[in-house]
Amino acid sequence: MAQNQKGGWAAYLVFGLAVFLAFCLVFERQIVLPWILAWMGHWHPLLLHFPIVLLLMAIFLGMWGKKVPPALLTVAVLTALITAISGFFLGKEVVAKGELLLWHQWLGGGVALLAALWYWLERIKIEIRILSKAIMLLLAVGIGFAGHYGGMVTHGEDYLALPATGKRESIPENPLIYKDVVFRILEDNCIKCHNANKQKGGLVMTSLEGLLKGGETGTALIPGNPGKSELIRRLLLPVADEEHMPPEENKPLEKDEITLLERWIALGASDTVRLNHLDIAEPLATLVRGLMEPDRLEKWTTLPELTDTTLLNLATEYLTIRRVASNTNALSINVYHPPEYDPKPVLALERVAANIVELDLSGLPLGQKELDMVAACTNLEWLELDRTPVTDSDMAKLENLSQLALLKIYETNIGDSGVAILQKMQNLKYLYMHNTRVTEAAFERLRRTNPKLSVNRGMGKDLLGYVPPGDSSQLEL
Amino acid sequence: MENKQQAPDNPLKVNRRHFFSQLSVGIGSLALGSLLIPDLFDRGKDPVRGNPIGIPHFAPRAKRIIYLFQAGAPSQLESFDYKPSLLTRMGEDLPDSIRKGQRLTGMTSGQESFPLMPPAIGFKQYGQSGAWVSDYFPHIARIVDDICIVKSMHTEAINHDPAITFFQTGSQVSGRPSMGSWLSYGLGNENKNLPSFVVLTSRGEGNSQGLYSKLWSSGFLDSKHQGVLLRAGKNPVLYLNDPDGVSRSDKRHLLDQVSSLNKLHLAETGDDEIESRIAQYEMAYRMQMSVPDVMDISREPEAIIKLYGEDCQVPGTYAANALQARRLAENGVRFIQLYHQGWDQHGNLPNEMSAQARDVDQASAALIIDLKQRGMLDDTLVIWGGEFGRTNYCQGKFDPANYGRDHHPRAFSIWMAGGGVKPGLSYGLTDEFGYNILENPVHINDFHATLMYAMGLDHERLTYKYQGRRFRLTDVAGNVIKELLA
Repeated sequence: MAQNQKGGWAAYLVFGLAVFLAFCLVFERQIVLPWILAWMGHWHPLLLHFPIVLLLMAIFLGMWGKKVPPALLTVAVLTALITAISGFFLGKEVVAKGELLLWHQWLGGGVALLAALWYWLERIKIEIRILSKAIMLLLAVGIGFAGHYGGMVTHGEDYLALPATGKRESIPENPLIYKDVVFRILEDNCIKCHNANKQKGGLVMTSLEGLLKGGETGTALIPGNPGKSELIRRLLLPVADEEHMPPEENKPLEKDEITLLERWIALGASDTVRLNHLDIAEPLATLVRGLMEPDRLEKWTTLPELTDTTLLNLATEYLTIRRVASNTNALSINVYHPPEYDPKPVLALERVAANIVELDLSGLPLGQKELDMVAACTNLEWLELDRTPVTDSDMAKLENLSQLALLKIYETNIGDSGVAILQKMQNLKYLYMHNTRVTEAAFERLRRTNPKLSVNRGMGKDLLGYVPPGDSSQLEL
Repeated sequence: MENKQQAPDNPLKVNRRHFFSQLSVGIGSLALGSLLIPDLFDRGKDPVRGNPIGIPHFAPRAKRIIYLFQAGAPSQLESFDYKPSLLTRMGEDLPDSIRKGQRLTGMTSGQESFPLMPPAIGFKQYGQSGAWVSDYFPHIARIVDDICIVKSMHTEAINHDPAITFFQTGSQVSGRPSMGSWLSYGLGNENKNLPSFVVLTSRGEGNSQGLYSKLWSSGFLDSKHQGVLLRAGKNPVLYLNDPDGVSRSDKRHLLDQVSSLNKLHLAETGDDEIESRIAQYEMAYRMQMSVPDVMDISREPEAIIKLYGEDCQVPGTYAANALQARRLAENGVRFIQLYHQGWDQHGNLPNEMSAQARDVDQASAALIIDLKQRGMLDDTLVIWGGEFGRTNYCQGKFDPANYGRDHHPRAFSIWMAGGGVKPGLSYGLTDEFGYNILENPVHINDFHATLMYAMGLDHERLTYKYQGRRFRLTDVAGNVIKELLA
């Protein structure tokens, strides 16, 4: 390819980038990116506009029968390769790639490599018109689909779909199992083909009567017998099976969703049973509660980014710092009492104050500065200050910890004015405060303003009535 | 180079120089790409060794576990699984339709008949949950609303050693890492001044079976994950204390010198076992301070001593170990394993069991109450149970006042408390003979999977590659029983 001296470096660059891209795609699973490359991936959404325009321009000229200017093609191919590579870098940030992203990745990579092939054919001047036309056509289609899938990845699958009816409500307190849970699963997965208008297989799933009536293959469910119910049988078939539902091009139901339907049928497929009617050990109750509960991790997605190096730098032999889960920036911190107490490591936590959701300072000889640091941890949900010299005036500093759900202040000098501040903490659920100076009256006030709060005041009198072993006669309740 | 532009007859014709320069770009690009694969040329090393990435897999419910292991297998029929129908069927032979060919131990396989034996002790219902508890356990009866009783545990093993090994390591054959070691490997130390896995043993008067250190071995995991046995008395950890005449500063000086030599060696060889050795020396040095501090119960208030029972002041008793367990939990030990021996009642069950229960009843309940008032039951999971259950039929001479029971793997009871487990729940159901499980069976693998889930670990993802394949605590089985968790 040294025929054409000028632009020789560009040919090398195209070749090199193409090989690099192919390598990345093939060895995707083994690759781990350094941060700088991961950062370069963030440019993908900007870069991608260039190859789309330039390649389409080149294709347009080519299809028109015009000569594609070599400079245009070179720049178009180079940007296509760079965009694909940056997109690959960006994609590595996703833990589990969904179907959309995989399509986008392979289509985008394919477009870039195909463009490189076109470039090479042009350069070595192989002029088979039908071949280059075919490549151009393929490229145009590829760009369209790659772009469309990319759009769905960023904007959501329904972005281009026609607007649907409003936002869905969350599951209400003590829901009706059929109406609020089962029906939603059917609505999301089945009803678009099994409604009064479409009636695939003669089955209408919009009502319980419809399900019981069934379709061409008989009733869809037999109350009390999920194993014999057509609905469950079809859900459980291998995805590739003809009879599997939903049909192959749709997302199969989650394992939990199927179990939920199974248990609902096993319990009689009632449309009146509510969550509180179910036994506490019933799997259906657990599954429904799981759907109702907001994910803890979700709440933490807005916390500032943190690197592991920061965490390593803050940890000491007596201060353990860890992420609550590996995929969150929420921190859990335990500080143990060293032989010689030094407040510095605790004060250094100020840097990550917003990230701390659990903080254990039990038994440490805390000073004013440490408590100022605690006051800065505005996302704190779990705080242990038991057996510390914390005072009533220190407690006042904690006023802004609005997320606090659990607080331990037992065996401290805290009195009535110290706990008064807790009346404002509406999220506080658990309070451990035995052996403090808090009076009965203050405790009552707290209980009145915050009825959901569970206060543990130690065993106290309970222990005095503790029955010695061997004597069970008084125990019957 | 001559200008070839006039002669494009064969576009694929390349000269040698061109071929090589093109090739070098290709190889260069591949090399560039290969830089993105970490330890490409480092295949000898297990990638998950040291610190497994991505852990915890999700936000944990429990941060630590206290396992009150009742070694020898306490009878479920005299503790938590109340079977009144055994009274009406007393002396009847166990029907074959119930036994279904269950393999028996050599101790009863020769017996001509299997006469059903009701419990010699009464049962009552307690608390809001209305759970049945036998009169052997009056204190545990008072905390039934805080615990979750699982009546449908089952195992495959019928003899003590394989059964207890199964519970501890997920395999009946010894050699695998213990549960505590897996958690230490997965989650690391919570407090860097104490081991993450600690073992305390005690022994009752009942018929006992051996306990071997293999039960808390780290198997093929790094030895730093093995359980550290804390002994009763003056020297909880053997060889930890300095000999007479060696001061703490002498020791520091010694360690600094040893460490600098080790670092030289490390720089030479790059062997990370040396690094781990340096860290172990440092940890032992800190343990010289932290262990006596944790073990010293002299500052525990009178009320606490009363709560656990006076026995807790006698080192080596179950009560003392239970109190110790709370102190270790408070100090960030991740897995605290207690064993109480003496639950193997092949004969003389009523007498032995009442004595065994007296050893553990008050202190077990006290531990729950104590953890609860410290707010530690929210993130500490306590487990109480043995390695299997006992038969519903009598072993040996039929005497309702003094009978024995053989090993029974098909159904037995354990209880758990705290750490995200549903309080007041009775899970699982056995038939009226107390022999087979009717509802919600929990296999040991399921039990392990559930514990790991509570600790924020996916039992299918915490693996260690050894001898050519990846191992897990649950090996190739186990389902998380989400119904047990709140």
